[in-house]
Amino acid sequence: MPLNEGLVVFVRSIIAFFSLLIFTRIIGKEQISQLTFFDYVLGITIGSIAASLTTDLSSRAWPHWVGLITWAALGYLMEIITMKWRYAAKVLEGQPDIVIMNGKILEKALKKSKYRASDILELLRNQGVFDLNEVSYAIMESNGRLSVLKKPEYQPLTPNDMNIQVKDKGISTELIYDGILFSENLRQAGKDEAWLMSRLKAQGINDISEVFLAALNPEGNLYIDKYDDHIQKAIDIGDYKGPF
Amino acid sequence: MRKFMVIAIPVVSLLIFIAIMLSGDLLKKPLGDDDNIPEAIDELIETIQMEKWDEAGIKVKELSDKWKRIVNRVQFSSERDEINFFSMSLARLEGALLVRDKVNAVLELKEAYEHWNQLAN
Repeated sequence: MPLNEGLVVFVRSIIAFFSLLIFTRIIGKEQISQLTFFDYVLGITIGSIAASLTTDLSSRAWPHWVGLITWAALGYLMEIITMKWRYAAKVLEGQPDIVIMNGKILEKALKKSKYRASDILELLRNQGVFDLNEVSYAIMESNGRLSVLKKPEYQPLTPNDMNIQVKDKGISTELIYDGILFSENLRQAGKDEAWLMSRLKAQGINDISEVFLAALNPEGNLYIDKYDDHIQKAIDIGDYKGPF
Repeated sequence: MRKFMVIAIPVVSLLIFIAIMLSGDLLKKPLGDDDNIPEAIDELIETIQMEKWDEAGIKVKELSDKWKRIVNRVQFSSERDEINFFSMSLARLEGALLVRDKVNAVLELKEAYEHWNQLAN
């Protein structure tokens, strides 16, 4: 029999892999942390259909692919509907519920969101809140995460509270990565290669290829990490002796 | 140009995938003189009904060779179940011819014909 199962699975894998990649690039703009429960189920189902498309040789690839594109299209449609129509968004994705208001737990809201008090305490602990007295508001977001607003007296002190002026630190610019110089970034930072080489030489570096990462912050401080770290023995944070 | 490529590459990829998945119906049709399965089945039924057993034996071998060629072409777009069922029908047909069992030979050919129709459909 000339039928080559391995080759068929290989071709089907390519079809499933790239179809999935294209579909998820179209529908998957949200971060994992923003996924609602339905998005999560949608992802699992689409993944499961793609797996069947790859290895279920007892049926043709086409019906599986139609299932895949239908689920992806419906997911995309739901995304468009919830974006354009707020009423539908409320029905389809749910809405944030206040579960603690002015320090008081709202039992009705808790029941509606199917959470027990112990779940709320756990979510509060995840946010670094161990005492309910500290909480002014707690909001159950539609993605199942708890947002907490502490009472003013428990909020951390900020430079603003102390009337202290602080400089805007901005973001660092990568100048070298993996031994390769980013000339465009260097130019945008208002520096030139001669300046960079002088700074590298000051650290005992003669060639850019010795550098793993170099980044410049707006204050003009250069962070340099070489390939050669000169660390004799790295600290092992593993808690159990494993295979490596 | 870059935006065009960003759209064109996925669209072309999807079109190629669709073409591969739907190619079975086209590729199972005869592309030459020696890959016409329905015709071979019809001829074989006729031969068996006339009880020309030696000729039928040769024609089964030919049908089997044609089938192998077709499987090579449609394996990416058709279901393995139908491919297996057709092959099983061919094996049983060979057995029926061996004992010169006309009824079972025709039954197997008719079943093989149905599997052929279902293939890649």
